[in-house]
Amino acid sequence: MYTSLIQALGIINCTIVKRHGNNNFELLYGTNDWAYALLPHARDDTHFTIDDHSPYLQDFLIDAEHFWQIGNDGQIQSGIWSEKTASSLLRLEAIAAVTKGECFLVINNLEQQYARQQKTLQSARELLITNDKMLAEQEYLQERLETILRQADNLTALQAPLNKVIEHAEFGIIIADADMQIVQQNPRALALFELSEQQAPPSPLSITMRLFNEQCPSVERILSTHSEWRGELFWHMSEYVNKWLDLSLQAVVDAQGALVNWIFILNDVTRLKYLQQRNEQLGMYDIVTDLPNRHLLLQNTESAVSDQHPFYFLYLDIKWFKRVNDRYGHAVGDTLLIELVERIQPLLGDENLLARMGGDEFAILLHDTTSAKECDAFCQRLIQTVEQPFYTPDKQQLRVGLNIGVAHYPSDATDCEQLVRFADMAVYSAKRQLDSHAAFYSKSLKDITMKRIAMEEALRKAIKAREFELFLQPIIDMRSGGIVKAEALIRWRDKSNKLISPDEFIPIAELCGLIIPIGHWVIEQAGNMLKLLHSYNDQLTLSVNLSPKQLNDEHLLDAFTATINKTGIDASKVELEITEGVLIDNFERVERHIRQLRKLGIRISIDDFGTGYSSLRYLQRLSVDTVKIDRSFVHDLSDNENDKAIVLAVIAIAKSLGLEVIAEGVETKAQRHFLMDNACFIAQGYLFGRPVPVDDFCQLLSCE
Amino acid sequence: MIQKKICLLGASAVGKTSLIKQYIEGVFSDKYLTTLGVKVDKKQVQLGPREIQLMVWDIEGIDRYCGFQPKYLRGASAFIIVVDHTRSQSLQEGMEIFQLAQETTNIPAVLVINKTDLPEQWHWTEHEVETRSHMFADCFRTSAKTGEQVDAMFQAVARLCMAD
Ligand SMILES: Nc1nc2c(ncn2[C@@H]2O[C@H](COP(=O)(O)OP(=O)(O)OP(=O)(O)O)[C@@H](O)[C@H]2O)c(=O)[nH]1
Ligand SMILES: [Mg+2]
Repeated sequence: MYTSLIQALGIINCTIVKRHGNNNFELLYGTNDWAYALLPHARDDTHFTIDDHSPYLQDFLIDAEHFWQIGNDGQIQSGIWSEKTASSLLRLEAIAAVTKGECFLVINNLEQQYARQQKTLQSARELLITNDKMLAEQEYLQERLETILRQADNLTALQAPLNKVIEHAEFGIIIADADMQIVQQNPRALALFELSEQQAPPSPLSITMRLFNEQCPSVERILSTHSEWRGELFWHMSEYVNKWLDLSLQAVVDAQGALVNWIFILNDVTRLKYLQQRNEQLGMYDIVTDLPNRHLLLQNTESAVSDQHPFYFLYLDIKWFKRVNDRYGHAVGDTLLIELVERIQPLLGDENLLARMGGDEFAILLHDTTSAKECDAFCQRLIQTVEQPFYTPDKQQLRVGLNIGVAHYPSDATDCEQLVRFADMAVYSAKRQLDSHAAFYSKSLKDITMKRIAMEEALRKAIKAREFELFLQPIIDMRSGGIVKAEALIRWRDKSNKLISPDEFIPIAELCGLIIPIGHWVIEQAGNMLKLLHSYNDQLTLSVNLSPKQLNDEHLLDAFTATINKTGIDASKVELEITEGVLIDNFERVERHIRQLRKLGIRISIDDFGTGYSSLRYLQRLSVDTVKIDRSFVHDLSDNENDKAIVLAVIAIAKSLGLEVIAEGVETKAQRHFLMDNACFIAQGYLFGRPVPVDDFCQLLSCE
Repeated sequence: MIQKKICLLGASAVGKTSLIKQYIEGVFSDKYLTTLGVKVDKKQVQLGPREIQLMVWDIEGIDRYCGFQPKYLRGASAFIIVVDHTRSQSLQEGMEIFQLAQETTNIPAVLVINKTDLPEQWHWTEHEVETRSHMFADCFRTSAKTGEQVDAMFQAVARLCMAD
C-alpha cells in the first residue's frame, strides 16, 4: 500500500523504515541498492538493526530515538550528509517521523537537490571569499595610502612601489586634492564607469560625486567636516548598464589638520548584490547585519512621508566603533555590529524599521511613538542596551556608545531628504558630547551646529596662521615665595585681536582631532619658551597640558624628541600634565606612552587629582612625579569639611608614594595657611599670579 | 578496535576537505568544490602498539550561509580548527568558531594554519597568531597541496584523542 502511494506521489528515491522498538526496524519501502548499502542487515531479515555502518546516521538515531520515545506527531531532520558506498557517493538526509503513534525513519536521496544547491552555494562562497580578500586588501592599502598622503608634501613623493599597487589594484582608486580636483586615478576607476583614458568628461570623479550628492543626504556635512563615509551607490548608465558601487571615502589631513586629499575607493559589488538577491532575500539588505540598507530605508521614509503619518527619524551613530575596528580588525567590528543589532531588535515594535546606513551608522523609523518624551525614553533604552559590554572571541571586553539624532516628520521637515539631513545634523551635534547622547533636531541645534562647523573651520585657519599664544602662570614655593615652575596655558587671539578662552575651543579641537596639530605647536613653543626662561632661572620647570587624545597620538614622542633636540633644553625640566580621565580610557596605551616619555626624562603630573576615578593602583603603576590638587577642593577649603578631608587624603597619598603635591587655584591667605600647615608647599593661583604673556613672565623672573 | 571521532571546523574554503583527502587518499585537487552538510571518513591509525579507527568528520564551512551546529561535536574526542593564511578573516572566524565550540565541549582542539605552500597574505603579526595558538592544545602549519605536516597533524590529533 505504501509503495503505490509513494510512487503515485512521485517521491520515489527514498527509503522508508518502520521502527518497532529500540533498534528494531522493518523496511517498508526502498529496495534500491543504496538502501541496502546503508542498511545492510535489511537484506537478510525483516526485522533488522542499524549498526555503526554509517556513523552519521547512527549519530542521528540518538536524536531520533529520543524523539520517537516522546511520541508526539511530527518529524525531525538530520541535515544533509554524504555517504560513500562501494559503488557511489550518496547525498542523503534522514527524517525521524511520528504519525498517529507510529514511528518511521525516512531516508531521502537528495542527489539532484544537492547538485543544485551546491552550484548556488559554490558561486556564492567563491564570491564571498574574493570579496573578503578584496576588503582586507583594500583596508590595508587605504591605511597605507592615508599615512603616506598625510606625510607627503606633494604626490611626487608617492613612492614608486605604492604607485604600482594603485595602478594594479583590483578596485577603483581616485585621489583628489582639497578642491576636489583629480590628482590621480587608476585604470580600474575608469573601467568601473566604462570609460577609457582618452575620453572627454565625465570623469570617474565627477560621476562619483554626482551619485554621492544625489544618494547621500549627509553629503554636505561629510565634505565640510572632512568625515569619512562608506556605503553603496547605485549607478544607472543606460537601460543595460546598472551598477552597485561600494564607495569608501576618506579625507587625509596633514599635521596641521589642513585637508590635503580625498581618497575614493570604489568597488563594483553588483554581482555580490545579485547573488545576495538570489541567495538571500533582496538586494536591499545589508550583507553584514541582514538589515535593510540605506536605499530600502530611504524608500520606506519616502513612502511614510507620502502617507502623511507623523513619525520620528532616528539617526544612530556608534561611538568609538572605529577604535574597535582599528584595534581588533573588521571581523570583530562586524560581529559587534551583528550583536548590537540583535540587542536593538527586541526593543523595536513590529511597526518600526531598523536599517544600516553604512559603516557604523544605523537609522530607525519610529512610527509607534507620538511624543518627544516617549521618543527620548526610547533613545535612552537604546543607549543603555548598546552600552552594555561586548566580548571578542578571546574574551576581551569592548565598549561602544551610541549617539542618536532625531528629527520629526512633519514638525521638523516635510520631505524625506530634509528630514534625513536634519537627523544627521542632530547626530553630528550629539557626537560632540563625550558620552552617549540623543539630540533632537531644532532650529537652535541647527544654528549651534553651523556655528561649530564654522568654529572648526576657523580653528583650522588659526592653526595655519599661528594665532595661538602660550601664557604662563607662576607656580610658587610658598616657603620662600620664589617661582619654581610655570604652567603654560594656551590662548587663541583671533584676527580681530579678541582672546578666545581655551574652554571654548579646546573641546571642539579635541572632538574634531585638531587638538593634535595644536598640541604639536604647544610642544614646540614650550621648548623655545623654556630655553628663554632658563636664561633667567635655569632651575625652572615648565609644565604643559596634554589632553586624552594627545596622549593617544602616536607622534607625540617624536614631537617631544624633535623639540628637545632642536632647543637643547633639559628634558627633566619639562612636565606634562595629564588629566585623570586618560587613565581610565586606554590605560595600556597611555601607560606605554608615559613610560616612553619618562625615558626621555620628562616629568609627569596628574592634573585635577581627586575629581575622577584615579585609583592608587593606577598611580603606582604609572609612576608619575607630581599630583595636582584640583582647584575645586582648594576653593571650598575654609568651609567644606569634606573637601578638607579630600585634600588631606591627597597630600597623604602623595607623601606615601613619594610624589610632589601642587595645590591649584589658591586665592586666599586662609587657603595658603591650611596647605602650609599640612605640608603642601607648592601652589599656584591668583594669590600668586595670573597667567601672563611670556614677556611679562620674564619680567617677574628678573624681579626675583 | 577503538573508534574515535574528530571534527574539522572552519570558515569555507580554508581546505578542510582537501586536508582529509590528502590524509586519507594522498591526493589533492586545485578545484574548489564546497561541501554541503557532513561527510565522514574512516582511517586506521597506528599509535605505538595500538591501532585505532579515526572517524573524521568533514563539516561544511561555517559562514554566512551555514551556521555553527554544536550537535556535530557530540561524541567527538577532539576537533580541529582550520584557517587559511591567505585570508585574514579566516583566522578571526576560526577563533569565533573555536569559542562557540568551547561553549559546548571541553575536548582538546588543534589549530591548523593551512595553505603554507602559498605566500602568507594576511596582516596578522606573528605575535597575534602566537597568542591565539596558545589557546589550543597544539598548532600546525600544513599544506594540503604538498602534504606538508598533514600526517603529522592527524597523528597528533589521534594521540590527543587517546589522552582522554
Ligand atoms: N595551494 C593550496 N590550496 C589549497 C590547500 N588546501 C586547500 N586548497 C584549495 O582551497 C580551495 C578550498 O579547499 P576545500 O578543501 O574545498 O575547502 P573546505 O574548507 O573544505 O571548504 P568548504 O567545504 O566550502 O567549507 C580548493 O580550491 C583547494 O584546492 C593548500 O594547502 N594549498
Ligand atoms: Mg569542504
